[in-house]
Amino acid sequence: MLVVERIVAAASLAWAAALLLAQLLLAWGGGRKDYSVRAGSPGRAVLFNLTAAMAPAHKEAARLHPGKFAVGVALHVGVAVAVVEALAAMVRPEAGPLRPTAAGTLAALSVVAGLYLLARRALSRTLRFMSCPDDYVAAAVTSGFILAAALYAFGVLAASPFLIFTAFTFFYLPLGKLRHVLFCPVSRVDLGRRLGYRGTYPAPRATKS
Amino acid sequence: MSEKEKDENITALSDPAEVARTAREALRRAARGLAAYHFDACVRCGLCGESCHIYKTDPVPENLPGAKAAKVASFFRRYHTVLGRIAPFLVGARTLTAEALDELVEAAYGRCTGCGRCGLNCSVGADVGAIIRAGRNVLAAVGKVPPNLQAVVDNQLRTGNQMAITPQELRDTAAWVSEDLRLEMGDDGVKVHVDEPGKRVFYLVNPREVKFFPLSLMAAAGVFHAAGESWTMSSRFYDVTNYGLFSGDDSAAAAITKQAVEEAERLGAEEIILSECGHGFRSFRWEGPNWLGERYAVPMRSILELMLEYLRDGRIRVDPAKNPDRVTLHDPCNLVRWGGVVEPQREVLRRVTTDFVEMVPNREQNFCCGGGGGMLSMSEYGDRRVASGEVKAEQIRATGAKVVAAPCHNCADQLLELNKKYKLGVEVKAVVELVYEALVL
Repeated sequence: MLVVERIVAAASLAWAAALLLAQLLLAWGGGRKDYSVRAGSPGRAVLFNLTAAMAPAHKEAARLHPGKFAVGVALHVGVAVAVVEALAAMVRPEAGPLRPTAAGTLAALSVVAGLYLLARRALSRTLRFMSCPDDYVAAAVTSGFILAAALYAFGVLAASPFLIFTAFTFFYLPLGKLRHVLFCPVSRVDLGRRLGYRGTYPAPRATKS
Repeated sequence: MSEKEKDENITALSDPAEVARTAREALRRAARGLAAYHFDACVRCGLCGESCHIYKTDPVPENLPGAKAAKVASFFRRYHTVLGRIAPFLVGARTLTAEALDELVEAAYGRCTGCGRCGLNCSVGADVGAIIRAGRNVLAAVGKVPPNLQAVVDNQLRTGNQMAITPQELRDTAAWVSEDLRLEMGDDGVKVHVDEPGKRVFYLVNPREVKFFPLSLMAAAGVFHAAGESWTMSSRFYDVTNYGLFSGDDSAAAAITKQAVEEAERLGAEEIILSECGHGFRSFRWEGPNWLGERYAVPMRSILELMLEYLRDGRIRVDPAKNPDRVTLHDPCNLVRWGGVVEPQREVLRRVTTDFVEMVPNREQNFCCGGGGGMLSMSEYGDRRVASGEVKAEQIRATGAKVVAAPCHNCADQLLELNKKYKLGVEVKAVVELVYEALVL
């Protein structure tokens, strides 16, 4: 059932994984040896930077912009839902969507979040200044993918077009801004490791603004 | 470094093809294993503005950390991403040309102090400080460092210190500081030790202490004497600063590091102690070994850590009542956020003052005073530097403190200017001065 669509989607997923891995290896480039004498715990600091440091209590960007932070979280919840539904459709399309009501609702809310972020970028002078076409394309592709997942979950869209949407999204993922799916955690690991090595992180005692 | 190499070091490239080739190679080297992780993390959400003292005081899009980072990242994308190669307009990728690099100068040097606060508070965790320094690496490689900043680096390479103070001047200053100290402490044994081999501690200071503000040098000598420390400075290489960190010229930074570290070895010191200098601490303690590609033979720490050890071990006795005014502490970005020296200065101040209060925010979340990143030497950005210091000025005012302890001489210079401009009515002191004033002899 849907053999061609599933193969195309799986191939796109493999392409995305391979290209992201290649980019990570290029960014690493053999790495850097640190010759200074360590003062702290890089491991604990990396853990901190991937967890507590991302919470509003520690992250000013989230604390000062709770609404936008919530919208961002909503968008990424929708992405996660869409990916799970896509993987399920690739493996067993005949089983239909997983938990359709919950998935569809979350994805629908996420689409609203995605469209808000797209509109915000288009309307804000500051964001327009720093944006390139890829910022709009990436937002549109993501919102489209989540919308497809929502429609699939609600039974409006068949598995076949959803898998085609999925294939396109995975194809685009390693090319533009969506690469942050990899480089966001990687940058948190890198910065956390360096700040931990020097003893700055973890930082539970800082007084916030 | 030979004279020829020093001259080549400061010569701007003129051939466009050579500029592009050199810049591209410098970008590749700077990005590998560091900034390359962060270029593609930034999602340009624009939520980083409030974390930047420059944007907070002048909220134009050009000052947004993400926008500054995007300028550097645009060059990386052009050569190191698929779409950047085949459809650069789509991903905002730019070709490295002399003109494009000229535009980068202001973003990299004039609109960012590399304080790194935005990176800690970034939605995704992109280290904008690392990205901007990669940009400075590229600009330094093609000779586009702002001339006044480059002049400081040149001074350090040619004379061993950033203010081109001669060894004789250093010895003269040490002599009269010693004389004043003997009178003040009533102890004929106290002196500023210079060029004495076999001492345990090799002390590096900011040339500002020698030339303009000898009080902190005097205080350090007094504290060392009170602790019974065996210490010396060198009349040749005593500069704790390293403007190669700011200019982005890692080879110059390595040469500056090497001359001081080798001097410590030559004098047979067991430990290098760094005076209160934010970027000097970061440069020597953390970046230096990597610039040199080897571990130092002599261990190194800040005088803040050493003074805490003296206090804990009872090697110096203090009376906090001698510092009765309210004291607050400025956290220099390169000492605290990038240096990991967060608590020692606090514990020292709690022991030597009676009314110590924190600024808000503090520690790794501190705001830059505005004088970092070499800003103090780049007069062309002076107005922006002072304006951006308003954030720090208001932090200080809110504490109600009479004294600001600033464990960094660059920060102290900026804070003195902010004190006048924003009428704060505070005294700016090094931590060692407060320790010295609290000494019980």
